[in-house]
Amino acid sequence: MIPGKRRAETMSLPALIFGVLMVHTVSSQNEPSIAASEHTSLPVEGHSSPFTLQCNLSSSDYAVLESYWMKNGEEIPETRSANRNIEYKLNKPRGDDAGVYMCVFTFGMSPAANTTIEVKAAPEITGHKRSENKNEGQRALLYCKSVGYPNPIWTWRKLENGIYREIDNSSGRFSISSKDNYTELSITNLDINLDPGEYQCNATNLIGSSDERSVLRVRSHLAPLWPLLGVLAEIIILIVIIVVYEKRKKPEDLQDDDDPAGPVKTNSTNNHKDKNLRQRNTN
Amino acid sequence: MSPAPATREQDLKPPDGGWGWMVVMGAHISIGFSYATPKALSIFFKDIQLDLQAGYSEIAWISSIMLAAMYAGGPVSSALVDRYGSRPIVILGGLMCGGSMVVASFGNSIVYLYLCIGVTAGCGLALNLNASLTIISKYFLARRPLANGLAMAGSPVFLCFLAPFNQYLLDKFGWRGSFLILGAVMLHCCVAGALMRPVGSRNSPPTKAEERPDRGGGGCVGRAKKIVDWSFFKDRAFVIYLVGNILFIFGAYAPIVFLSAYAVSRGVDQYSAAYLLSIMGFVDMFVRPGTGLIANSKWVRPRVQYLFSLAVVFNGACHLLCPLIETYAFLVVYAVFFGVAFGMVFALIFECLMDLMGPRRFPRAVGLVTIIECVPMLLGPPTAGLLVDLFDDYQYLFLLCGAVIASGGIFLFVMNLYNYRRPQNERAGQPQPNDPARIQNALHLDFCAKESAVPESADGAEPAAGGKMPSMSNLHLPVAAEENGGRSPPPNRFAL
Repeated sequence: MIPGKRRAETMSLPALIFGVLMVHTVSSQNEPSIAASEHTSLPVEGHSSPFTLQCNLSSSDYAVLESYWMKNGEEIPETRSANRNIEYKLNKPRGDDAGVYMCVFTFGMSPAANTTIEVKAAPEITGHKRSENKNEGQRALLYCKSVGYPNPIWTWRKLENGIYREIDNSSGRFSISSKDNYTELSITNLDINLDPGEYQCNATNLIGSSDERSVLRVRSHLAPLWPLLGVLAEIIILIVIIVVYEKRKKPEDLQDDDDPAGPVKTNSTNNHKDKNLRQRNTN
Repeated sequence: MSPAPATREQDLKPPDGGWGWMVVMGAHISIGFSYATPKALSIFFKDIQLDLQAGYSEIAWISSIMLAAMYAGGPVSSALVDRYGSRPIVILGGLMCGGSMVVASFGNSIVYLYLCIGVTAGCGLALNLNASLTIISKYFLARRPLANGLAMAGSPVFLCFLAPFNQYLLDKFGWRGSFLILGAVMLHCCVAGALMRPVGSRNSPPTKAEERPDRGGGGCVGRAKKIVDWSFFKDRAFVIYLVGNILFIFGAYAPIVFLSAYAVSRGVDQYSAAYLLSIMGFVDMFVRPGTGLIANSKWVRPRVQYLFSLAVVFNGACHLLCPLIETYAFLVVYAVFFGVAFGMVFALIFECLMDLMGPRRFPRAVGLVTIIECVPMLLGPPTAGLLVDLFDDYQYLFLLCGAVIASGGIFLFVMNLYNYRRPQNERAGQPQPNDPARIQNALHLDFCAKESAVPESADGAEPAAGGKMPSMSNLHLPVAAEENGGRSPPPNRFAL
């Protein structure tokens, strides 16, 4: 890193930005100096115009072996070249284009030189669970993912009585773990009375903030019991109806039978009567 | 109330209506659960996977085991139905399914689910299936194709109902609660069983006439004791049917499994791709009873085997043309045609077997066909999947399935033509249709009872000549079936 004075200006208007070259003060004569684009930040809403980051190696003392770009500590593929002036173009800058960019120049004998350019953006939550349904006593996991730079500060709130309040962790069942652009709210041993409701994750950084809601529903162990009993009752009623209908039909059918071979089985006292005659109480 | 020996039921002319329609409704419910449950359960898999921490393929085995048990349980189911009649078996099947789902809801390991849902519920469904088909063959003769079409329509109707219902249950109660409730819902099979009043229940108590079966029907009783009756394989029509069906089943299910993936690969979005299957199922729902109605008509009924083979060829042709499709609109058209073809085949698949075998031999035949068809059914989709992996393109899958199915259909058509047009004298040792002694003999040997006068046949009283389809002969005289070597088409269980 070349120490030097830099002005970091935050641009608030979307504008076509070309790299404004700034001259760094050189602290040592032999170190190469790099002129780089300013730090910038992307607009919150709407489209950003295309945007180019530039790095120019100004001193001619050293022969450049290779130069490339890095983003957030990792090399961007296919940016290697042997140029002294390199550019990296962001065609449609979006939230996930934000981060710390670095242009690196390597030399044969001397150590490499680099400069960072920060592209800031307000956080934008890109992933979250819209709803989570779990059973009582289980563990629920709500998460939020965002893009933007610098990394936001995460807070979780719960909607109570119409406003979002900080989560009350007196029972010790809540735990929040946040790292960079990701946060997780974990609730163990779900309580069906206290826990269901709307939770909100909020990401805030210097530029702006964003939040998203997730609904947590807790199912009771006994919840399926009523429908179960209902269906069983319905089935029993249907079977009873069918069986009763059949039993009622059967004695009538027996009496319609023309087969003279055997006597109709009945313990009625009307045995001696004509069996083709319909009997009312043949039982 | 239920007649103990199956022979008593043979005394009766099939009612062809009346309470029979309630029996069709019962069969509709029972068959619906049998076919729709293994497919509809896949909705719960993701949740179960998360809860039991198992891999997707381990969970997917549940469906496969269930289907395999359902088909493999055929012969045992046949034997039980033969012995006890349909009603107790369907009730038992319903209790097994319902009970096993309830027990499964408490499970904590994959193997537990395999045993409960896969094996136990699968066997329960096997009992349901066989018994429902059998009772239709007992209640209907003249209107049997229609009854079959209506009963088989249960499969798409229940799938249409169970899929969103399962999703709703899953959201509201989680998979365990859902299984509890589904177990209770499956007890409706018991209700269906209660509807399946045995045909002979209106008969008087045993008379002297009943003794005849014991004399001439040694074969009848003897056969009832065997689980697998190998004599079916001597029946040429049965073997033709079986081979055609094996080819059909091998290719039938893979396109369904891979249809949405294929659509997605052609650029369609996920939801629209899922709609294709719904369209297919919806069309299927109406085509099955429709086909039953058509198959019942005067002109088609004697030639129902040909209609079946044409439907199979149509199915194959649909799949062969599928790779040519590029746009979503045409995919929808394909889904519609696929639904029509699939519905037609399945509406007729068991009707044809009933037609070939007759009501007495049908239960056994269906059990045998089912367990044999287990193999292509389990092999088909994975083989197709292998093709997709090898070539990285879905078109070969459709081409393979289409080719196999179409060849099965052509085989059926040609062999049926050949079989039933053979001149009578070429059939060595076959009885002549009009030989009275033969008729008398056949009545004893084949049916173990005096067969009642056969109801109206489709086209009048032509003697069953060599060129007639078995269906004609079955309608006509029992002995006609004997003439054709006693062959009846095995019912296509898979049509479910």
